[in-house]
Amino acid sequence: MKWATRPGVHVDRAACAWLIRRFVDPAAEFVFTTDPAAIPDGATPFDMRGAALGHHQGRCSFETALSAFGLDTDPALEELGRIIHEADLGDERYDAPAAPGLDVLIRGLTMISGSDHDTLAITGRLFDGLYEHTRRQLMTGRPPA
Amino acid sequence: MVQAEEWVLLAYRLPRVPSTPRSAVWRKLKRLGVAWLGDGLVALPADARTREHLEWVAEEVTDHGGEATLWQGRPLDSATASAVAGRMTAAVAAEYEAVAAEAAAAGTADPAARRRALVRLRRELHRIQARDFFACPQGETARRAVDHLAAAHTRALA
Repeated sequence: MKWATRPGVHVDRAACAWLIRRFVDPAAEFVFTTDPAAIPDGATPFDMRGAALGHHQGRCSFETALSAFGLDTDPALEELGRIIHEADLGDERYDAPAAPGLDVLIRGLTMISGSDHDTLAITGRLFDGLYEHTRRQLMTGRPPA
Repeated sequence: MVQAEEWVLLAYRLPRVPSTPRSAVWRKLKRLGVAWLGDGLVALPADARTREHLEWVAEEVTDHGGEATLWQGRPLDSATASAVAGRMTAAVAAEYEAVAAEAAAAGTADPAARRRALVRLRRELHRIQARDFFACPQGETARRAVDHLAAAHTRALA
């Protein structure tokens, strides 16, 4: 399937792309466009104004996507949602100490990245790791060593 | 003072009732440090981050039955633009000054209260820095005051 979002991906778009590829559509193909009118036919937009998979009810696109895909039963993904919310919006709705670091790392990465596809390749691994860390932390009740 | 060339503007209109979405939007704009140009018209110096933040505020407005349009442009009248930037800077300067004053006052507090103040003021400093678009000089004073408080805290631990 085709999925569309804005270019110059930052934390929320990168996290949505990771979620889609890992849990929803392993063969996902991502296209980047600023203009909503330029979204290819059949592509599902995310983290764009006017998209169902966007910011709604004070939640970031990743949190919206979790409920849209029925993935909000996974506590580790829910926790990831809180980290991404704070990295993206920083409105202090949640206590997420990892968020400011994640924001800086991905902003820096997009500065040196050749393309959005390159960015997603790296952030994909980053979110794999963050998910694993969060999962283990929830299992043992303490930060994994 | 640093001048912003390009500004991103949000023009919005929200129904008067219910008042909850109105105040939620108002709080968000306040936290972003926008310049209030008129009734339902706000502006920020344009960059990827400010554009995105205002886009999502616009989405929230339309989600609640309001109207919102985003614009990007440059002021034709540089004196008025400086006055707008000056108002924004004065607002963050006052916030920085409050942090500096609190940091100085906390220096004489007991160690536990000093530590609590340090944690709180560092957070507050981050919040203010996020809406300081013109490198307000009081920022440096506030950062030094908080560093000073941190040094006093570290000395007490040694």
